[in-house]
Amino acid sequence: MNNIVVLPLLIPVLTGILLALFRNNVSLQRGFSFFSFFLSGVVSLLLVQQVYNEGIQILEIGGWPAPFGIVLVADMLTALLLVTTSAVSIACILYAFKSIGEQRERYYFYPLFHFLITGVNGAFLTGDLFNLFVCFEVMLFSSYVLLSLGGTRIQLRETIKYILVNTTSSTLFLVAIAYLYAVTGTLNMAHLSVRIAEVGQTGFITNVALLFLIVFSLKAALFLFFWLPGSYSAPPTAIAAIFAALLTKVGIYAIFRTYTLIFYHQPEVTHTLIAVIAALTMILGGIGAVAQRDIRHILVYNVIIGVGFVVSGLAVFTSTAVTGSIYYLIHDIVSKALLFLLGGTIIRIVGTGKLKEISGLIHNHPLLGWMFFINALALAGIPPLSGFIGKVLVIQEGLARGGSNSGFYCLAAVGLLSSLMILYSLMKIFINAFWGETYLSQDMEKGTTRGLLLPCALLTAVIIILGLGVETLYPYVEQAANSMMNPNIYIEAVLREVV
Amino acid sequence: MSELHLTTLMPFVYTLVVPFFYKYIRRIHTGWFVLPLPILLFVYLIKHISLVARGKPIIHSVPWIPSLGINYTINIDGLALIFGLIISGIGALVVLYSIYYLSKDREALQNFYVYLLLFMGAMLAVVFSDNIIVLYLFWELTSISSFLLIAYWYQRKSSRYGAQKALLITMFGGFLMLGGFLLLANVTGTFSIGEMILQAGKIKEHPVFLPAMLLILLGAFTKSAQFPFHIWLPDAMEAPTPISAYLHSATMVKAGIYLIARFTPIFGGNMAWFWAVSGIGLFTLFWGAFSAIRQRDLKAVLAYSTVSQLGMITCLLGLGSVAMYYGPGESSALYTSAILAAIFHLLNHSTFKGCLFMVVGIIDHQTGTRDIRRLGGLMNLMPVTFTLAVIGSFSMAGLPPFNGFLSKEMFFTSVLNASHLDIFHMETWGIMFPVIAWTASVFTFIYCMIIVFKTFTGKYHPQKLERKINEASWGLLLPPALLALLVVLFFFFPNVLARYLLIPAMASVLPDFGKTGFVVDPIEAWHGWTPELLMTIGIVAIGTLMFVYLRKWISIYARLPVQFSLNNMYDQLLVKTEAFSARLTRAYMTGFVRDYLLYIFAFFVVVLGGIMLFLDTFAYDPAANNPISIYEIILALAMVVCALMVLFARTRLVAIIGVGVMGYLVAMFFVVFRAPDLALTQLVVETVTTVLFLLCFYFLPELKEEAGSIGLRATNLAVAAGVGVIVTAMALSAQGNRLFAPISWFFENSYELAGAKNIVNAILVDFRGFDTMFEILVFSIAGLGVYTLIKLLTRRDQE
Repeated sequence: MNNIVVLPLLIPVLTGILLALFRNNVSLQRGFSFFSFFLSGVVSLLLVQQVYNEGIQILEIGGWPAPFGIVLVADMLTALLLVTTSAVSIACILYAFKSIGEQRERYYFYPLFHFLITGVNGAFLTGDLFNLFVCFEVMLFSSYVLLSLGGTRIQLRETIKYILVNTTSSTLFLVAIAYLYAVTGTLNMAHLSVRIAEVGQTGFITNVALLFLIVFSLKAALFLFFWLPGSYSAPPTAIAAIFAALLTKVGIYAIFRTYTLIFYHQPEVTHTLIAVIAALTMILGGIGAVAQRDIRHILVYNVIIGVGFVVSGLAVFTSTAVTGSIYYLIHDIVSKALLFLLGGTIIRIVGTGKLKEISGLIHNHPLLGWMFFINALALAGIPPLSGFIGKVLVIQEGLARGGSNSGFYCLAAVGLLSSLMILYSLMKIFINAFWGETYLSQDMEKGTTRGLLLPCALLTAVIIILGLGVETLYPYVEQAANSMMNPNIYIEAVLREVV
Repeated sequence: MSELHLTTLMPFVYTLVVPFFYKYIRRIHTGWFVLPLPILLFVYLIKHISLVARGKPIIHSVPWIPSLGINYTINIDGLALIFGLIISGIGALVVLYSIYYLSKDREALQNFYVYLLLFMGAMLAVVFSDNIIVLYLFWELTSISSFLLIAYWYQRKSSRYGAQKALLITMFGGFLMLGGFLLLANVTGTFSIGEMILQAGKIKEHPVFLPAMLLILLGAFTKSAQFPFHIWLPDAMEAPTPISAYLHSATMVKAGIYLIARFTPIFGGNMAWFWAVSGIGLFTLFWGAFSAIRQRDLKAVLAYSTVSQLGMITCLLGLGSVAMYYGPGESSALYTSAILAAIFHLLNHSTFKGCLFMVVGIIDHQTGTRDIRRLGGLMNLMPVTFTLAVIGSFSMAGLPPFNGFLSKEMFFTSVLNASHLDIFHMETWGIMFPVIAWTASVFTFIYCMIIVFKTFTGKYHPQKLERKINEASWGLLLPPALLALLVVLFFFFPNVLARYLLIPAMASVLPDFGKTGFVVDPIEAWHGWTPELLMTIGIVAIGTLMFVYLRKWISIYARLPVQFSLNNMYDQLLVKTEAFSARLTRAYMTGFVRDYLLYIFAFFVVVLGGIMLFLDTFAYDPAANNPISIYEIILALAMVVCALMVLFARTRLVAIIGVGVMGYLVAMFFVVFRAPDLALTQLVVETVTTVLFLLCFYFLPELKEEAGSIGLRATNLAVAAGVGVIVTAMALSAQGNRLFAPISWFFENSYELAGAKNIVNAILVDFRGFDTMFEILVFSIAGLGVYTLIKLLTRRDQE
């Protein structure tokens, strides 16, 4: 039992409630927001160190033992994701200070942002399947409101689609939980794992597992991504960036957790399907990214490619591949946030996202340009930046497994070629927007970059450090992958007293 | 961190300082501050020659990601050293040249030198690194710095086009090469090239041998501009000329050749390798030379000639790899000499081509044009430049007394030897090698003559030029003059070079042979009246004839169809890919949520229905149920009727009533199942939502008939019915699959545990109170949402 485990939830939720009460005091809201995410970051780092030294940390809420009560579980994967979440939250909130507009600030932007993070952190932390559903709802409702906040025409139009699709998936989630509970009689994930291991994963359980896969794929934009491009290009930059960085990742996390801890007995069915849809996601995302000529649209399709790649590491399903996936997941959170912040800044300067109408920005905005360039390379998996090591490990393992099942060769090939599509689509932005004749003098620009480059620079530093510091991170990531590939570690930590 | 690591990383450190020099000391050309670095590197490497020549490679390792076996291990052997000398040596000359070439007042020099230093450091690391992952890292960095340098004048459209093309092609190859590397790493369990070579036998046995080989070769061919990937190189000539001299002829484009040489110990002696390397090389040699003649721009001539010469070196490496088939001994000596020729020519090419690029740069700098049609008669105006051009061109054409003659003769020896091979189907095709090599050399001779005579002799056209012509400053002339000096020196002292540089490099390409010592004949200019010499004489005779009558046959180039040219195909590929992608994406991303829901549910039906049939998971056991009473059947049927009513409703009012009634029926079920508190809650919720619906309904437009074709409606029907059937079937199966007793027994003594008499309440507020708390949070968020929707309406012009 460790009370620190609940802090990454408690800090944002309390801050959110508090800030909702002081909605007219904008500077107080800003100060507290920054401080709260900073504090969450520190706590999460502490948690990483504790998990590293002492193993998985848990908290049984209300003192009710697992599997009867709800239990929060911080294993290394969760702890690393919490740290990453705090980092991108800080960057996005800093960006919002200067860009979101006072109106939105007065209308609960900061509380909603905190509730969103509460949902995200809760989803990472919970060890209970129904509670995962609840955390998803917290996250989703916050995202509905953030998406529509400001009520522009395009925001409202896209919000209604977003709500419809997500309500559908939430309903299916609930149905899936009901089926699983009927069969296993429990909701605690560790307990589910024990019980399913005991009787073996029957055909029907696999069936239910696939229903969960559909639910989480909808959240993660894995193959079922149709709702994403529209809704992620509608909101203001800071909101789009946090969405792109985190929301799909929560879905990915849920797939990782359920398919390593609970439904890992029939990989020839489940993981094969995952491999196929991961490859299709990369291909369709890549094609979408190549097709676009508007910055916003190029960026949203890049989100989709990233999802496909992270999940393909799970599909390969070896310890090393999962290690690679975790590296890539962390990288993807940071660099997608950065990508959206940078793209949003370009649009802010020029007043349009159409590449045809943008040219020669590097003359007046060299820092912005080079940050974009570095991030594009990181996303294409060029060393020594953050995207590289994850890409290499996943592809290497895919190739290794290709020897026995040539389908994995295809997956690895798609993974490699998706890098080319990322590179092509992002370099198109760089070449068109930053190079060429400079038409726009500084006083003709639609918006200023004042204060916006600092959060971008912070994230750029992170992707460079993540790339160079792979070794420092390695023991942590390895531990995370290890506990994912050995469900008993997780089970023993949660069900100490029962089993 | 060893001294070597520090030295090779110096250029990167230096990039951080250069911008300050540019910003604060504008009076002095930034190049002067950069110049000492390559000179120091060159001197530093020279010091290692004798050690390496004695067969002692220098190895130092610095850990980067030791947990994954990725370390920056520097291994300087003969091959690495010769490349290192070229990189630092030519680098120094190019920096010196650039000081006089680029104006310190008009150009963004800090960019130029930062990119250049990035390249220099990366290229050194490529050739020094023993670890393939580190090699790959710096390999990509050379592509990136090349990309930035090609687009140095980024305002120009052609620069951007060339940069993008180079980046796409070289990075495409780079990604594939990485795939090949990873395949090899999987077989050998190491990222170290040295250790892989020790396991060469194991790799040869493995099924991934061929794919790994092809992938790595694609990396090498794209980088070294081999046919059909050579098309990026001519467009890369948009870079400033010092860069063309440095990256795009002397160093970066030779990275692919380095890679082939480096991996020869692993792949050599294999038929596929032999044909891929020597065949592609030979064809590239021919195609480059053939295409060079039609160019009007002097730099374009040089670009194609670089393509051609790189093809020749590649071909030689392929021919030399045969030696590995025979193994060390007398019989393979015929073929090992091809490796020697490859390395010798590599060095020679760097000298004469570097010199020629600088000469063309001088012409461009002094006259303002590189167009052959506007040039002519410069011999008297620019005598020094003319001399340098003659030395460079004649060496490239393979004439004495220049180094190109020696390596060209050795090339002919190699192709003649190869034509006598009786393995790898060479007994049939062997004769092709000398024939194509000779033909290509004729074209080479012709374009070399074009460079010299069309520019420097003939009529001087002052009216076509914008400025008055005079000889260039000594700063521009010195670097090419030094290279020209080397061109001559290498001719007279080839064996000194061979002993200290070429043979140690050969030993790295053929490590098994190096141990026993090579059987190498001294390199000589005169062997008597050999077939090689006759071939050269033939080239001069036929070449001169064809050059004189160039006008008569140049028109054949115009007959080559434009739409089949590789450049056109590349452009079309990009255009078509974008168009296809756009069409495909638009086809399914309609923007209508009804389509998206259709995809989602169709996927649902396919996956879950498919697995249900495939694994036969449907398991319903009616015996396990309690008896079903008549009330329950009536309630269920009533619910079905309501659901259908909603579907077929023509007005919103009917639909609302249908939904409402269904909700009440659910409440009835709760009553039947003896859960009065749930029934009450459900009744309240239903009433409130129905009322709200009715309120909103007043403001909503009339319900319109869904338009859609029969096909679409049928699909919708099938998907909808499928979802219904599957959800029901799964629910029934869940009922028949109860494997464990639910954990809810724990809550039954809720009074003892939590002091609550009502188990539902205890679960809601205590056992799972955390859920409830968050659900309350969800409602609060929804409340905030409603409030903001009503109150906050941003004007359209704001974001």
